[in-house]
Amino acid sequence: MTYIGAELIISPLGKTTEENCTAMIANRSGISLIADAGFDHKSLFLSKINDPDGQGKFTRLIIQAIETIKNEIDDAVLLSARTIFIISSTKGDPEQIKDPFNAAVSAVQQKFSLANRPIVISNACISGIVAINTAHHLIRARLYDHAVVIGCDVLSDFVVYGFQSLFAMGDAPCRPFDAARNGISIGEGCGAVVVSASEHIFRNPSLQLLAGTTANDANHISGPSRTGEGLFRSVKKTMEKNGITADELDFISAHGTATVFNDEMESIAFDRLGMSNIPLNSLKGYFGHTLGAAGIIETAASMQMIRNGILFKSLGFQEQGTSKALNIVSGNTVANPETILKTASGFGGGNASLIIRSI
Amino acid sequence: MNFITAYGHLQENSCAVNGETICRRDKNSGDPWFRQIYKEQEFVYPKFHKMDVLSQAGFLTSELIKRANPQFAGKYKDDEIAMLFANRSGSAETDQKFVHAYQNGTPSPSLFVYTLPNIVMGEIAILNKWYGESLFAVLPAFDAEFYINHCNLLLSAGSEAVLCSWHEIAGNQIDVFTFLIEKEGESRFELTTNTLSKIAFEGNFHKTEINANYYY
Repeated sequence: MTYIGAELIISPLGKTTEENCTAMIANRSGISLIADAGFDHKSLFLSKINDPDGQGKFTRLIIQAIETIKNEIDDAVLLSARTIFIISSTKGDPEQIKDPFNAAVSAVQQKFSLANRPIVISNACISGIVAINTAHHLIRARLYDHAVVIGCDVLSDFVVYGFQSLFAMGDAPCRPFDAARNGISIGEGCGAVVVSASEHIFRNPSLQLLAGTTANDANHISGPSRTGEGLFRSVKKTMEKNGITADELDFISAHGTATVFNDEMESIAFDRLGMSNIPLNSLKGYFGHTLGAAGIIETAASMQMIRNGILFKSLGFQEQGTSKALNIVSGNTVANPETILKTASGFGGGNASLIIRSI
Repeated sequence: MNFITAYGHLQENSCAVNGETICRRDKNSGDPWFRQIYKEQEFVYPKFHKMDVLSQAGFLTSELIKRANPQFAGKYKDDEIAMLFANRSGSAETDQKFVHAYQNGTPSPSLFVYTLPNIVMGEIAILNKWYGESLFAVLPAFDAEFYINHCNLLLSAGSEAVLCSWHEIAGNQIDVFTFLIEKEGESRFELTTNTLSKIAFEGNFHKTEINANYYY
């Protein structure tokens, strides 16, 4: 069995998992109107961490995450030669435009005297799920015993202007799956989980991580498939690999960016998978779209749903806005979810999925 | 055991398939280097001209490998070919062009969609209708062991072949090495650290002195 635990979320909603969880229970959003954020000085709805320190945010967030999770695991794990660090990010450090990843990775490795150089995974918006799946594969193959998986992306003019140029940004806080949705709210944040072959390294009880997969849409580099083909294939493979059927899933933590086409695509894929009745949310209404951090932040939040016996409301959703109906959680619900499917889709036609389960 | 069944090198001035140079850069040509190869090899894929350099390089090397190995594509189901790409600087080359565009005018959406390193794998998936696994990693330098470990993981988890690439382009420096891994092949190309490192640097004749330690 492969174990997952020590989950952490750093976002505008808080620096600890508890602070973020409290905010989600209160249905509080990290998204706010930021003045002068866009190209041509437009004000935009973003999920921005208040950070008076300015420079070096990307590296500082990763270091802050490691400082926090090291208290949640056995002391020996961090420095062990049997531990690999995996960093998930789409853009890395925006202050290092010519070489966005290597300086940060070196700084982190040196700061903690890590035995192995961290691997960076950069697969657009599915990076976080791909990173957790990679950790799982490496541990199952016994190449390592433990993996610390950290997802981080920070706001920058680059990313904001880019999504503006695609007309992908909403003019209000994002409303995933809602009829009135009209685009994403970009966010920044850092998420972390620890994946291990041992359940004994965790200070708090761990959950089970089941093997996940990816699949490409083979359709378009920046637009989702009209048939949800890649998401359909990835989820189907993940379910078959683990011998799990749809009726065993208690919940789906979907990608749900709140663009018209993405959410429509997901509804089609889940309909084809016979999963339309399974309770589902998107957490983008709380954190915005944190790109390479999203998959990890949302897996961490899903773990919190299992631990706290609650399904978080899909913030921003009021009225069905996809051609295929989904069972979207419209208010916090007391429940006992044991098995959760987490999915992500992104640029480059990538789709990824994984399953977490209570033990 | 797994095997390297075909490979291609693309560098500043030459392009080679399975170790044989097939194209040399004509410095007097009015065309950019990658378009020279595209024309000389008589490719017809108009989308090539919209791509950024990482995607163009991926198109050229993967198509040249397929030509050298014509039976390859038909051997597998549409989700059995995985892609495993890595480089040092992500999409920094195109990122800088996007910054230049918005600092001197407006943000260009057609540039922005290429400012992610995994887009090249998306382009190859679209061209070939491949629905398989894909992974893009950022590493400080080419690392044969990384590819071997992750190919083994992919090949033991449902994939039957892996298209791999070290895919680094920074300014005028082009260091692209694309190779195909399959479960059957010739014994002299068994996928080992030694063989893969040797082949990886085979194309770099002009770099042999500085890379002498990579020859086993």
